[in-house]
Amino acid sequence: MEFLTLAFMQRALLAGIAIGLILPFLGVFVSMRRMAFFGDGIAHASLAGIALGIVTGANPFWGALAVGIAFGIGVYALEHKTNLSSDVVIGVLFTSGLALGVVLMSFQHGYQPDLITFLFGNILAISQTDMLVIAGLAAVIFSVLFWYARHFTMIAFDRETAWTSGMNTELLNLLFYILLSVTIVLGVKLLGIILVSALLIIPAAIGKLLAPSFIGLVTLSIIAGEFAIGIGLLISYYLDIPSGSTIILTGSGMLILAVLGRSIVRKIL
Amino acid sequence: MENAIEVTNVAFAYTSSLVVQEVSFCVETGAVTAIIGPNGSGKTTLLKLLLGILKPQKGTISVFGKQPKEARNFIGYVPQKFSFDRTFPLTVWEFLKFSHFECPSQKIEEYLNFFGMAQAKTALVGSLSGGQLQRVLLVRAMIHDPKILYLDEPSAGIDVGGEQTFYELVDRLHKQYKNTIVMVSHELDVVFHFATQVICLNKKLLCEGAPRDVLTPELLEQIFGMGATLYHHASLR
Repeated sequence: MEFLTLAFMQRALLAGIAIGLILPFLGVFVSMRRMAFFGDGIAHASLAGIALGIVTGANPFWGALAVGIAFGIGVYALEHKTNLSSDVVIGVLFTSGLALGVVLMSFQHGYQPDLITFLFGNILAISQTDMLVIAGLAAVIFSVLFWYARHFTMIAFDRETAWTSGMNTELLNLLFYILLSVTIVLGVKLLGIILVSALLIIPAAIGKLLAPSFIGLVTLSIIAGEFAIGIGLLISYYLDIPSGSTIILTGSGMLILAVLGRSIVRKIL
Repeated sequence: MENAIEVTNVAFAYTSSLVVQEVSFCVETGAVTAIIGPNGSGKTTLLKLLLGILKPQKGTISVFGKQPKEARNFIGYVPQKFSFDRTFPLTVWEFLKFSHFECPSQKIEEYLNFFGMAQAKTALVGSLSGGQLQRVLLVRAMIHDPKILYLDEPSAGIDVGGEQTFYELVDRLHKQYKNTIVMVSHELDVVFHFATQVICLNKKLLCEGAPRDVLTPELLEQIFGMGATLYHHASLR
């Protein structure tokens, strides 16, 4: 338990716990709505905001957050105002954001440690301020998700009948996109642009394999997410290997165990 | 008797051609109204206009004196197609509670019993048969005590046995709770025996009235083409 006495590990663990609550929770709805591509899209488009921050000397995190939210609202608006399908809209905005990020970065010469951190994540480099921002935003997002979970579930199940039940499906959809955008950007800080969507998808996949009900699915997904982060951090510390990648590989390992466990239980029963 | 629904000169088009043309009719409170017509006649579009999912480009719709969108608390709706991911672990109980969170659990139990689905409350929605799913959707439509129940081709995709049970349940439901029911249906015999009012639609309103008065062989031929006639539905034998 020596690693728990280190300040940077404490910060990493607290930020990881906060992200482990909201990414898998949102991942359940993302999985229900088959919109995993959205997570990847936000993460990659946020490069434009990160690059803008680096070039202007501002904090890249706030740039990524602004671009992430703009991406979410942009996808929502284009889905509603045009007849373009969701994956086309996301594909266009995702690659445009990425391209803009690359162009902006071309104005900045030399090695960019911030850029590498955002590409692959560095949970161990989380500062006290980062940790407080992540924990604060995660608490707000978790509360909103908890309150609107039933609405998001019904909308994911069948939007028309959710509307006839009296739900404001349009506004709730926009809220969902914004929550997802902010959460992905928070996750980018820890796991990086390339890996963040894995923590959105893997815990929900584990939950779906094992849960007997929706409440069970959300609970199991969050537990799986927290386990992947905790065990992954521990392994990365003792083996001295990259933390973000270890967290994702731990999650993938847990998914394989869940698949095998489910098959064995089904054969026995 | 007070009108539950008043439709006046309603027209709607998805693109340029009108799907619903200058339709006007009223539905009395407590009536069982069937909307019939051939495929593409605008039946489901009209139902979506009544529900407030679509807005008419012309004309007005009033549901108990309110715009359809404002009347959502008064209505229950069973859709024709309920397309969802069947692999998702959502229990029947969660599905009903999430739909109407404010509804007391006792009331949900009461309706599950009424529709013979009490044993299925821990079952996953994705594991239900077509008939069972329709009954759960009926429970869902009824648990907040709606004044109007809309059914869009409610027996589509159910086998004959399931259909029979379904119509018997809807009949019992109407007798016990006295709701106004508006249903889109293809089954003329069911309409003939079950509905108190029929609205014949083929983009325009072709007839409106009691089934015995308006469902003549000539009109059926005009709506559905040659050879259309009433047959004996299994549930009514």
